[in-house]
Amino acid sequence: MSLGKYLALDKLSNFFNIIKQNGGIRASLYKMYRQDELKDGVLVGEDKFGNKYYENPRYFYGSNRWVEYSDKYNMDYDGSQVPAEWFGWLHYKTDLPPHMDPSRPKYKWMIEFTENMSGTTGQYTPYSTTRPKVEPWIPKRKSNA
Amino acid sequence: MAAKETVKTICRNARPVMSSDLTEARRRALGLYRAFYRYIPYIIKYFDIPKNEQDCRCKLREYFYKHACVTDVRVIDILVIKGYMELKEVTHLWQQKGHVMSHWNPSAEPKPCDFLGKFLAGMD
Amino acid sequence: MLRQPLTRALALSSPARAAPLAVRRYAEIAPQPDKVEVFIDDKPVYVPPGTTVLQAAAQVGVEIPRFCYHERLAVAGNCRMCLVEVEKSPKPVAACAMPVMKGMRVKTNSDLTRKAREGVMEFLLVNHPLDCPICDQGGECDLQDQSMAFGSDKSRFTDIHFSGKRAVEDKDVGPLIKTIMTRCIHCTRCIRFASEVAGVDDLGTTGRGTDMQVGTYVEKMFLSELSGNIIDLCPVGALTSKPYSFAARPWETRRIDSVDVLDPLGSNIVVSTRTNEVLRILPRTNEEINEEWLSDKSRFACDGLKRQRLVTPLMADSRGNLTPVDWEDAVVAAARALRDCPPDKLLAVAGDMADAESLVALKDLLNRLGSENACTEQYFPLEGAGIDLRSTYLLNTGIANVEDADFVLLIGTNVRFEAPLLNTRIRKAFIHKDTDVALIGPKVDLTYDYVHVGESASIVKDLASGTSAHEVLRKLEQAKRPVVILGADQLKTQEGAALLAYTQELALRLQDKLEDKNWKVLNVLQRTASQVAALDIGYKPGVGALLSAGPQVVYLLGADSGVVTRESLPKDAVVIYQGHHGDAGAAIADVVLPGAAYTEKRATYVNAEGRAQQTLPAVTPPGQAREDWKIIRAISEVVGVRLPYDNLDEVRDRLSQISPALVTYGDVQNNNYFAQARALAQSLQKPVSGNLDVKLKTLEDYFMTDAISRASPTMAKCVQAVLKQKQSTY
Repeated sequence: MSLGKYLALDKLSNFFNIIKQNGGIRASLYKMYRQDELKDGVLVGEDKFGNKYYENPRYFYGSNRWVEYSDKYNMDYDGSQVPAEWFGWLHYKTDLPPHMDPSRPKYKWMIEFTENMSGTTGQYTPYSTTRPKVEPWIPKRKSNA
Repeated sequence: MAAKETVKTICRNARPVMSSDLTEARRRALGLYRAFYRYIPYIIKYFDIPKNEQDCRCKLREYFYKHACVTDVRVIDILVIKGYMELKEVTHLWQQKGHVMSHWNPSAEPKPCDFLGKFLAGMD
Repeated sequence: MLRQPLTRALALSSPARAAPLAVRRYAEIAPQPDKVEVFIDDKPVYVPPGTTVLQAAAQVGVEIPRFCYHERLAVAGNCRMCLVEVEKSPKPVAACAMPVMKGMRVKTNSDLTRKAREGVMEFLLVNHPLDCPICDQGGECDLQDQSMAFGSDKSRFTDIHFSGKRAVEDKDVGPLIKTIMTRCIHCTRCIRFASEVAGVDDLGTTGRGTDMQVGTYVEKMFLSELSGNIIDLCPVGALTSKPYSFAARPWETRRIDSVDVLDPLGSNIVVSTRTNEVLRILPRTNEEINEEWLSDKSRFACDGLKRQRLVTPLMADSRGNLTPVDWEDAVVAAARALRDCPPDKLLAVAGDMADAESLVALKDLLNRLGSENACTEQYFPLEGAGIDLRSTYLLNTGIANVEDADFVLLIGTNVRFEAPLLNTRIRKAFIHKDTDVALIGPKVDLTYDYVHVGESASIVKDLASGTSAHEVLRKLEQAKRPVVILGADQLKTQEGAALLAYTQELALRLQDKLEDKNWKVLNVLQRTASQVAALDIGYKPGVGALLSAGPQVVYLLGADSGVVTRESLPKDAVVIYQGHHGDAGAAIADVVLPGAAYTEKRATYVNAEGRAQQTLPAVTPPGQAREDWKIIRAISEVVGVRLPYDNLDEVRDRLSQISPALVTYGDVQNNNYFAQARALAQSLQKPVSGNLDVKLKTLEDYFMTDAISRASPTMAKCVQAVLKQKQSTY
């Protein structure tokens, strides 16, 4: 064990390294504010929404893969914004990131990934398909509307 | 014949539940009142209800005054027994916060009784 | 087919029906012939000679099964179900056609009778499909019931040659009646109804024996305003209701007695409902109004109650679009408009289906606001006696009494479509009593022959003054029980007052000469169900002058006939519409208050003869709709002029203060003061020159006349079908 390690100086160098990797003091503070943690790691990939995926085996299993949500989400990020293909890598179902996985199926009928829209205007609301017993009168809209 | 029956009914000695006369029944009722009264601070503490001691005492008083007109010793005894059962449920925490709060019935909305209120609420 | 002459059939059937009815009080009391004694199951009964065995049995409470016999139709005697054993007769006899004879001993429950019935039933069922599970008549089928009661418990029908049962092609007789002719048992009730009551000789039979078919000979629509009644008459499922097909079973429905408001007669109806939905409307027997018939509009327009409904209060937003709001906002907006309006700029218009309760509430509200401008859509002349004397605007003769008339003069009215069931009474008199009918007005098809006197209004003047050379005048003067019916539509014009005055003069001149002092001659046939109640309450008839005065706030109580339009109002006028359908009235409104239709409230309606009747709630008002008088009552409280009634009984107390006749349900008051009305009208007898015209000329005009029937898809189909039939060569 080196002296540096003994005196926990490597922690110090890690600290400076992390700040450096996250783009300086200002940017680090912003990241702390936004995601409550500051980590260093290898950028594994980026999805089409701009989310960045990192890995650092120095951290314990379970927290050594993480996502930094795209800046466009600002503070409104949540777990459902991780697309399905990155979900597997992020949760250790596979070690191959999607862009390096040749066996991943791609068909043109596959629809675009959408985040969970609950609580927004785009949310799904169930509706009845039975005919109402009484059909209400719909007033004619005035032409100047 | 009918008069005889009536006399018989009046004079019939019912088997007492607990108390033999009104004085004894009164003593029991006061005992229940006192027991509840003394437990009120603990009710507030253990159940964490948004009421103070004064509110609880009023409520307790209300329940006793509700039966102020009862003169039948047997009925009083039964009411006292039921009161003790209630107290036991409270002291043993068999009742929950909701049960205790239900004495104040905080979620009940008064039904409109004037014409306009009933009309707007769509009630007949 | 055995078919007895009509006159005889009626002579047979009329005494039994006439006896219990008070309305027949004008009928001539025929010298009572000695009654004959007959024995029904050894029970003695005295009946007048000429009574049939079936009627005699009914008097002692013995019900004889029947299919073809119907008490309001001629006797056919072809179903043979009513066979009974008569002592000393070698064969069983048909009870419906057999007149009683002195000392006749009838056995309705003997072995021979039962065997005869079983035999008849077996033959009927041989050619009747066993499709009861998919038949709409199931549960209310005479054949089903009677085969259970009188049929054999086993069948000898085996299709050994695999030839199948008799099958008949279905007919297309229009959008109201569904025919499954294989089920027909040839009772000919529909044929007899069509030719006797409806006056449309389209139905008949072709072929004999197994090949006999009931139909219209050629593919043709059954062009009648009473066609729905053959559905009720059909004892099996051959004729069923098309709009109601496969909708419900009779045991699933709740039946609520009510009153129809789509024509001025107030026919009695039964509303069939299930799960808060009106499924169908059936007639309810009331001998004094509709007997047991019902007109097609009243019967089939009920699907209009589920379309185009106002279910939530609406208010115009800043762009003028009607948007849903809470009751509170709508009531406050309406109240504010009423409060801020000067009383003379306020106008309330009652429509054709307004009930008496809401009418009185609205008038009271207006009066409390200091206004007198409550009016109806239909005009009625205010000159002379105006609406002060009830006899000037009612059917004074009474609907049931019209069939006792010996001369009927119709002035400017097409009774057939304005009041179809009044027309059946006239037709009944025409056929069975040789009553003559004359018509002044455009030539229309009334289903019976009449003398067309002309179209000019001046004819009425000549008849009234007795200067006419027409034979009708002579006949009128000779008549013992004449009836003059004036259509209320004619009174709209400038000459309306004079026309009414002449009609009064004519009718009263005839009435004074009559031997029967109780007979009333003068009749005015109103067009709508609300008009009589509105006039009783004191509404001004017609909006004319009040509308041209430029009102600031207009309160429309179901006024949908298009009398009030946006063009006729000042630009800044506020229109409040209260009603149940989105129609002409709601379209021009700034505030829309949803009310209840006639099947959804307990309400009073007064029919054309002045008979107050009440509807009962069969279903709840849809959405947030409320009972009409309650809406007005709520507004009054917000305006600050609280009306002094909180429940229906108190409203009816108020109604009885205005006129006790409004709450004596089912009764009709005797009208008087004819002479006074005539005296007041003397000065109005100005020369008239115009021609009389009626709105409803042909069948396609009849179906869609009000907010409910205009919203009804069935009625729209009827109009299309009639127009299509007109194109056809038949």
